[in-house]
Amino acid sequence: MRIDLSLLVPYLPFMLEGALLTAQVCVLALLGSLIVGALMAVARTSANTLLRRAASIYADLFRNVPFIVQLFFFYYGLPEIGIYIDAFTTGVVALSIAGGAFTSDVIRSGILAIEPGIIEAAQVSGLSKTKVFSKIVLPVALRTSVRPMGSVFINLILTSSILSTITLNELTGTAKIVASDTFKPFEVYVVLLIAYATLTYLVSLLIAALHRRLNRDLGEAVR
Amino acid sequence: MIKAQSVRKVFGSVTVLDGVDLTVAPGEVVSILGSSGSGKSTLIRCINGLERLDGGSITVDDFDVSKPKELAEARKRSGTVFQMFNLYPHMTALQNVTLAPVEVLKRPKAEAEAEGRALLASVGLADRADAFPSQLSGGQRQRVGICRALAMKPRYLLLDEVTSALDPEMTADVLDILAKLAKEGTTMVFVTHEIEFARTISSRVVFLEKGRLVVDLPTEQFFAADGGLANPRIAQFLSKMRKD
Amino acid sequence: MRYTEFTPFDIVLLAQGLGVSVGLFLATTVIGLLIGTLWAVVRFYRVPVLTQVITFVAELLKNSPVLVQLFLVFFGFPAFFHINLGPVEAAVITLSGNTAAFVYVIAVSAIESIGRDQIEAARAFGLTKWQVLRHIIAPQAMAFAIGPLTGLLVNQLQVTSLISVIGVMDLTKIGNILNLRTLKPFIVWAVVGVLYYLAAKLIAYAGATLERRLRAHTAWKGL
Repeated sequence: MRIDLSLLVPYLPFMLEGALLTAQVCVLALLGSLIVGALMAVARTSANTLLRRAASIYADLFRNVPFIVQLFFFYYGLPEIGIYIDAFTTGVVALSIAGGAFTSDVIRSGILAIEPGIIEAAQVSGLSKTKVFSKIVLPVALRTSVRPMGSVFINLILTSSILSTITLNELTGTAKIVASDTFKPFEVYVVLLIAYATLTYLVSLLIAALHRRLNRDLGEAVR
Repeated sequence: MIKAQSVRKVFGSVTVLDGVDLTVAPGEVVSILGSSGSGKSTLIRCINGLERLDGGSITVDDFDVSKPKELAEARKRSGTVFQMFNLYPHMTALQNVTLAPVEVLKRPKAEAEAEGRALLASVGLADRADAFPSQLSGGQRQRVGICRALAMKPRYLLLDEVTSALDPEMTADVLDILAKLAKEGTTMVFVTHEIEFARTISSRVVFLEKGRLVVDLPTEQFFAADGGLANPRIAQFLSKMRKD
Repeated sequence: MRYTEFTPFDIVLLAQGLGVSVGLFLATTVIGLLIGTLWAVVRFYRVPVLTQVITFVAELLKNSPVLVQLFLVFFGFPAFFHINLGPVEAAVITLSGNTAAFVYVIAVSAIESIGRDQIEAARAFGLTKWQVLRHIIAPQAMAFAIGPLTGLLVNQLQVTSLISVIGVMDLTKIGNILNLRTLKPFIVWAVVGVLYYLAAKLIAYAGATLERRLRAHTAWKGL
């Protein structure tokens, strides 16, 4: 029972490709989650009851159904209705929708935390509703959301491993191949485990730095 | 001209404004006095459309604030300064000042910025234009708040207890600026607790009590023994405020 | 021979799958709660080395994908330790360990939420460390932890869906089978999703009820 990692060295470039794919998927899914989440947060804080209800149902549903079930729903379902997209796109879409549910929560609380007087000041200065939202509400909410968004992003990275089940050879997918090639599953998966943990740790450091940078000007308006 | 006619505002079971009539002509400086809870701030918030009226009407230069389309026009004509400053926390002092001129009046950015800097300089904040609100003192924030309102070149300036959140030294700074504006002929409606200040700069004083406008007199008469002071409620209010 | 239509027996299949998911969820929850709490107790006693090891392992488990942990146990352990592990055993080990890591973190913050002064006061009265833990800390920490624990368990139920990947006949695996047989992905995955959703809501409801009871128990009742 000795761990010998030298066997894995020749496979490093291959696994790095997988890691790169994971990074691509996660960054795209983060952007997707932000867009979906912001739209849903707007809907959930809007005055329209129907819109509010619909957006809440979306968030509730996608938070309470396992991601793998959502993924299979899209992966096997979309071709049924004539939409043929590859595993990569399906993965990004599914992650964006699931991530959007959590993001909408984060942004919604960011919006609700804004001092009402700040919004009133913008209103009386004559800004239209959409301008008040795009110039004041959203930028302030996004800044205060950096930290909780960080946890959503880290979860996104961990969840992206599930995309290996729809034939996408991202980090976990490539590791699976390496494991069966080398007959060294223990070593491969230990390395993979540590790789993910390191990756998410680095991301969390990055987020903390971003939070400090973006909010250095906000002072007591945050908290 | 700001015209408020039999304005009524109700919060739940409490009538905050009960048939208030008030007219403010260009060039006037009108101070609104009254104990807390008398409806002063609510009146200001009705004029700039932050509260919906439950009765009566308010027009700013004949634009009805209760009609969404006209409210936009009315708001272009009035600027509001708030008690708690309400600056945009993610924008610098200059950006706070130029946002509305650029977005609402569609002024070229460079022009708006030049004017914004000049405005900030006029209140002694030339070197703080690029600071964020969190980096400014309360008094500095309120001066930015005044510049933000002035940048829209409003015909009417609405001030809602703008010195209540400041300590005495900063209060003096802000009051100096308001006095200067009054001298320059800016039309102002302000809610204040600074009685002496109201006396020196306003042309008219109105007194609110329990949502009713009980006295509306030229300043001299308001403070005369046989004028406003003849009203026991006002005498009581003034002596109490002076003691504090 | 292929059956492409749904049969009444499919309902039995789904029920069985749900039973497996819920059963494994309950079993691993109990084991995870025990281990996680035990880890927290070890930390409370400040056992040297062991405390650091536990903290490291918990961080590693929290910050890596459950799917990778599952592969490590199912494929890696037998190869490395030369033991036999069926899919169900691997699932139990992985899910219990993962739940334990999160329980540990919740338990630690619950214990830390109790003021030092209370603990010091109790110690000053001559209570042993164990008595303090048993009579002062445990009841309060329980009330503090129940909310976060409910959130965790709702999430862990969804995590069980991953064991379908290593061949456990859980609800998701049944979904896979029905999907391949009927080729009606939308219906299959929607039904599976709804079953998971209802189970999640049931857990959330149970957690909320328990929290209310606990709070009522500790609340001031007057003289």
